[in-house]
Amino acid sequence: MTEALSQPLFGIFLSLAVFLIGQWLFKVGKGFFLFQPLFVGMVLGIIMLVIIGHLLHTSTIEVYTKYYKPGGDIVFWFLTPATIAFAIPLYKRNDIVKKYWFEILLSLIIGSIISLFLIYYVAKGLGLDRTSIAAMLPQAATTAIALPISTAIGGNASITAMAVILNAVIIYALGDWLIKIFHLNQSEIGAGLGLGTAGHTIGSAKALELGSVQGSMASIAVVIIGVVVDLVVPSVARILGL
Amino acid sequence: MTQKQTDSRQPKSAPILVQMGIFAAVLFVSSLISPLFPASFPVPTPVIGLILLYLLLTCHIVKLEWVDNFGSFLISMIGFLFVPSGISLATSLDTMAKSGIQIIIVIIISTVLMLVITAYTARFLILLHNKLQSSRSAHQSTTFKHHSPFKKEVSNND
Repeated sequence: MTEALSQPLFGIFLSLAVFLIGQWLFKVGKGFFLFQPLFVGMVLGIIMLVIIGHLLHTSTIEVYTKYYKPGGDIVFWFLTPATIAFAIPLYKRNDIVKKYWFEILLSLIIGSIISLFLIYYVAKGLGLDRTSIAAMLPQAATTAIALPISTAIGGNASITAMAVILNAVIIYALGDWLIKIFHLNQSEIGAGLGLGTAGHTIGSAKALELGSVQGSMASIAVVIIGVVVDLVVPSVARILGL
Repeated sequence: MTQKQTDSRQPKSAPILVQMGIFAAVLFVSSLISPLFPASFPVPTPVIGLILLYLLLTCHIVKLEWVDNFGSFLISMIGFLFVPSGISLATSLDTMAKSGIQIIIVIIISTVLMLVITAYTARFLILLHNKLQSSRSAHQSTTFKHHSPFKKEVSNND
């Protein structure tokens, strides 16, 4: 039994199975936001790992590393080519990029600086400790940028990783609703940049569903925000005295 | 150049293996560039790859039809590709239990803040841009609102 589980096939199969259940639930539940396939897949997957851990009398973390991760990593690897694929929607709307590049750049820089200060005060207000507050700051970037920056400013990298993943899950589940209640789609460029900043590549996929302008703007946001986090977060952390 | 124009003059797309080859080549080159950045300024392979592929497309070195199908396919299943990341939170269950619900609440609020603030900042700056443009061109035409290329943003949602 455990031999079969430690094949990469198990991780790939589990990922597919929980995601397909999610898609089915989403269809049956007529698009209820908690039935978003990614969210359902994540919750069901974790529950499965916890159950297997109980059956095999080991910890969930061990089940994850020994049995899920070999296959999970294979699926995860494809996020890399999928990320570079966002160059295509970006290129398709090169007209917008050429016309508004200065505003796009400025929006992302100003937007992320304001967000950083607000996130700091929200985190402090809710009583997080110093390392958790610092971990919250680089979350707009993708994991590969956010984690080293988090460590550099004295944050807990595992909390940062959690934040980056949850950003995407939240945007995937609540994106449509948030766009509606904040009337974000009145500016297609704004909606795209916001989705790319808050939801990373998942936000970009969501933005593409809204339209080609939104999709291309979200793609550019993923790139620029990474650089902005690299440059801005360490200085802001210093200003805030972290 | 709108997407529709691009689609209508789009010749036959390249075989899928060729498309995969281009992706692999771009990724390989990116993975060579990525370690050149200092540790204090990390730029990961996928980000470099995105920029590289964008530049290759913009300079017409790589044609759209050489990468479009495979790229769209990858983007269409990005929700699935993210499942392992979601499930990896199984290793953070302890952290979550320790730091309690506050951390999740802060993350949710942060996500909404980043979305809304970036979107509103952009909306304001674009509005400013269009205002400046139209006041500059106002003396030429009173109907600039319908003809100005800077209003194209609103009409191109496809």
